[in-house]
Amino acid sequence: MSIKKNGVDQQLIRDLAGILNDTNLTEIEVELGDLKVRVSRQAQAVHTVAAPLPAIAAGSLAAAQPGAVAPAAGADLSKNAIPSPMVGTAYLAPSPDAKPFVEIGQKVKEGQTLLIIEAMKTMNQIPSPRAGTVTAVLIEDAQPVEYGMPLVVIE
Amino acid sequence: MFQKILIANRGEIALRVLRACKELGIQTVVVHSTADSDAMHVRLADESVCIGPPPSRESYLNIHQIVAACEITGADAVHPGYGFLSENAKFADILAAHNITFIGPSGDHIRIMGDKIEAKRTAKRLGIPVVPGSDGAISEEKEAKRVAAEIGYPVIIKASAGGGGRGMKVALTEADLEVALQTAKSEAGAAFGDDAVYIEKYLQKPRHIEVQVFGDGAGHGVHFGERDCSLQRRHQKVWEEANSPALNAEERSRIGGICATAIADLGYSGAGTIEFLYENGEFYFIEMNTRLQVEHPVTEAITGIDLVHEQIRVASGGGLSVRQEDIKFNGHAIECRINAEDPRTFTPSPGTITHFHTPGGLGIRVDSGVYSGYKIPPYYDSLIGKLIVHGRNRVECMMRLRRALDEFVVDGIKTTLPLFRDLVGNPDIANGDYDIHWLEEYLAKGE
Repeated sequence: MSIKKNGVDQQLIRDLAGILNDTNLTEIEVELGDLKVRVSRQAQAVHTVAAPLPAIAAGSLAAAQPGAVAPAAGADLSKNAIPSPMVGTAYLAPSPDAKPFVEIGQKVKEGQTLLIIEAMKTMNQIPSPRAGTVTAVLIEDAQPVEYGMPLVVIE
Repeated sequence: MFQKILIANRGEIALRVLRACKELGIQTVVVHSTADSDAMHVRLADESVCIGPPPSRESYLNIHQIVAACEITGADAVHPGYGFLSENAKFADILAAHNITFIGPSGDHIRIMGDKIEAKRTAKRLGIPVVPGSDGAISEEKEAKRVAAEIGYPVIIKASAGGGGRGMKVALTEADLEVALQTAKSEAGAAFGDDAVYIEKYLQKPRHIEVQVFGDGAGHGVHFGERDCSLQRRHQKVWEEANSPALNAEERSRIGGICATAIADLGYSGAGTIEFLYENGEFYFIEMNTRLQVEHPVTEAITGIDLVHEQIRVASGGGLSVRQEDIKFNGHAIECRINAEDPRTFTPSPGTITHFHTPGGLGIRVDSGVYSGYKIPPYYDSLIGKLIVHGRNRVECMMRLRRALDEFVVDGIKTTLPLFRDLVGNPDIANGDYDIHWLEEYLAKGE
């Protein structure tokens, strides 16, 4: 992510990405003189492009969580992302063994439960504010979430 | 000691608490509204949690969200700062029920001191001097006359249910008493639906003097001397200093001793401030604040003791680091509250700070969370920083303050800095000759 010099050696990055895959690591950082390259992988990068978070500062909750969504471009998505109405721990399914409330590609009705957020020992069902299709789930099961963090994209 | 402290506040005080935590090697979590995402304390904290939209009610006052933020971050204590939830007994109780330490007194002590009548009754029981007056409601003129003669004129008649100056009437002599009583009763009835009134001695030119106290929760209490906060506008303190120009060492030690004993007897835990009106050598209890005060750095400057460190120590069960005999008063300190306000009209002036330069040098402290390019949100109070100046004596302190005020630059918004530049050159201020009405009278003259 932090590249301090233009004219980057693309082959180096490809090599690093290869090592990342082979070793199943999540992050590699290499420093050669002035050039510093960090290759990292986000857990959910496979199935989602994250909506931009509202100005997350260094050391913030989102950045501190290993499975957190990296802020990325995607202005269209942000409109359709459902922000967390509260602080707590988000669960995608009613119990650890149960099926998730919603899955990608699923059609949802307005008011249908998307996930639950546990706060102060109470389970709060988060209803869908509108009907549509789930195109992305931006959080992992049992992930802590803060106010305004995008949870699910419904188009 | 705590592993991780959540700071449930914003602005300069959140930064102030964060600094103490870092010095003690404690991890920090800050909570913030969406309006404060790029605030300095959010940038400097180890972790931050956004807890709601800009209105305080939905973020900084939202107990549910703050407790949830403790749960997801694993914070084992909460520092409430001042304002917001710092004197909310319910918040202290809820944290206790969740096994999270509230860095402050017990919910019960907050509750006692938050109730005007109960606070005064408790103060009296603990031997703290209170404003003499009728113990309960007065309705008959005859009874009013008897009480007024006993406490001495002038007296003030106040609505029991009151506040905000309504239902308050002064009687300078016995001749004024009947009219004052009837007017206060009818105003009280109209404003609060309850015409109960009581009588108190009316102080004409008092100073506001408050004593900083600390209890360890195990029956020990100490005082850190007083602060003189007489320079006020609409009950908002503007300039605070320690020691008070009006007290000598003997008076200081006497009132301090009374307060320290009271705190010990109460079994109080943590920082507190006992506020008095002071006139003709006598102290009259107003209220007790069960939290850290905005002006606490003045006391830190003359004692050299970090009061937030002490708060954290006491809350973690470590007791106080000092005994009364270790607390020495060294020199003089003054604090100016720099607000984002017009210096004459005091209308708030939110906006972007285009340039921010703070003074430096020996004896200067600036506590502020703002920086060049910072946009002051319109949702919260207008305090943008505090300038605290220390000198070996009051004269040196005043000269240094004058110099520091000239170095201080805040561009892009209006601030109260010009007011302080006027005050520091005023003969009454130079002589320490002012009371709680002085500033408003001075401002009225200037218009």
